[in-house]
Amino acid sequence: MTILGQVPSERCQALLRDRFEPRDCDTGGPPLVAVARHVELATTLRDELGYRIFGFVVAAHYPASKSQEDGVDQIRIAYGLRTVGPSSELAAWQVQVALGETVPTLAHLFAGADWQEREQYDLVGVRFEGHPDLRRLMLPEDWEGHPLRKDYAIDTQVPPWR
Amino acid sequence: MAVDESDRTFAHPVYDFMMRVPGLDIMTTTVDKVLTYSSEASLWIFPVATSCCGIEFMAMAASRVDVDRMGAIVRGSPRHSDVMMVAGTITVKMAPRVKKLWDQMPEPKWAIAVGSCAISGDFYRDIYSVIPGIDTFIPVDVYVPGCPPNPEAMMHGLLRLQEKIRSVRDGSWREREQRPQPVQYQRLPRLPIYNDPARSPLLNRQQIASAASLGWWDELNLDVALAKAAQDIGDAEPDASAAEPSERQSDSAESTSGEDPRARRNS
Repeated sequence: MTILGQVPSERCQALLRDRFEPRDCDTGGPPLVAVARHVELATTLRDELGYRIFGFVVAAHYPASKSQEDGVDQIRIAYGLRTVGPSSELAAWQVQVALGETVPTLAHLFAGADWQEREQYDLVGVRFEGHPDLRRLMLPEDWEGHPLRKDYAIDTQVPPWR
Repeated sequence: MAVDESDRTFAHPVYDFMMRVPGLDIMTTTVDKVLTYSSEASLWIFPVATSCCGIEFMAMAASRVDVDRMGAIVRGSPRHSDVMMVAGTITVKMAPRVKKLWDQMPEPKWAIAVGSCAISGDFYRDIYSVIPGIDTFIPVDVYVPGCPPNPEAMMHGLLRLQEKIRSVRDGSWREREQRPQPVQYQRLPRLPIYNDPARSPLLNRQQIASAASLGWWDELNLDVALAKAAQDIGDAEPDASAAEPSERQSDSAESTSGEDPRARRNS
């Protein structure tokens, strides 16, 4: 488990390493965790280790030519949680799914995850399973496509504006 | 202590003139001039401040610049306002809202585009969600350029709007037929000036080699440029410095300064 900023306690690191078996990410950054263990990891961090603040969720689209699994578009979603108080610690990890698969939502664990997951759905097109209100957040409701995907053309026409 | 003001007369140029001319205690004017004066001296602003231009807009309304001197006060409702000042980037999602607010303003109404983003989209122009200028959906009267413009520039834009209102009323306004075409600003990068004494000749050579690897310059003879760079390296050695003064003189004609610093150094 990568902890940026404060170095976490040995006990915390050992617990997470043994229980969730994170593997290193080839592009650097936080380690990858299996999607099936994803909600369990967030629950453990929140309830047992005190990571009560939802920091961020950021999705990135890896096209088929760049992804590890050849021929399949991948989406990697990085999560970050923080502890409360001064000298706050950050716990970050990633999950990876093929394009079109769903990811279990964290909105029932953290209220702050609600709109951030909506933003990632809006811009990258990640479908969060179990999200209470998965609508577009930033773009107009009738927008077609997800503009932060790598295959989104930069000169896409948006009638009647451009 | 009370001040006795009984001997002080009310002094105003118009009032003085009226008092001096016998029989002139009523001035006449046209209704048009009264309407013009009324509309240009009480421009109430509806702000659409979406980004950093909005910060300068606040400075324009605050005490140092203070457009309240021109009768322009900022209102929070489009139904009370005469001028919409759009200060900031307008996105595709924001544009229908801006149009709706514009439609709620009563006639007569004017629009001022403040800053590069509201005028043309500026460097956000090519982004999928940004409107390339607000004049694609509302009629703009005054463009205030800048990124962001000074508060004084915004005040100047307001004064230009007053000029426009006056000239439209008296019939001297001439509408431009169409918006000027955008200028293509992109240019190819230039090669460095070779006789810069502070620049290493080796650096010149590396730059020319990297430029040649791009393959952009069709009109430039790269063999000649590389030979010149090689000659520069030769010039850096003291023996070859005085070899060909006439050729160096012809090279220096290309420099912008008109004086060859390398020749001065070698003499």
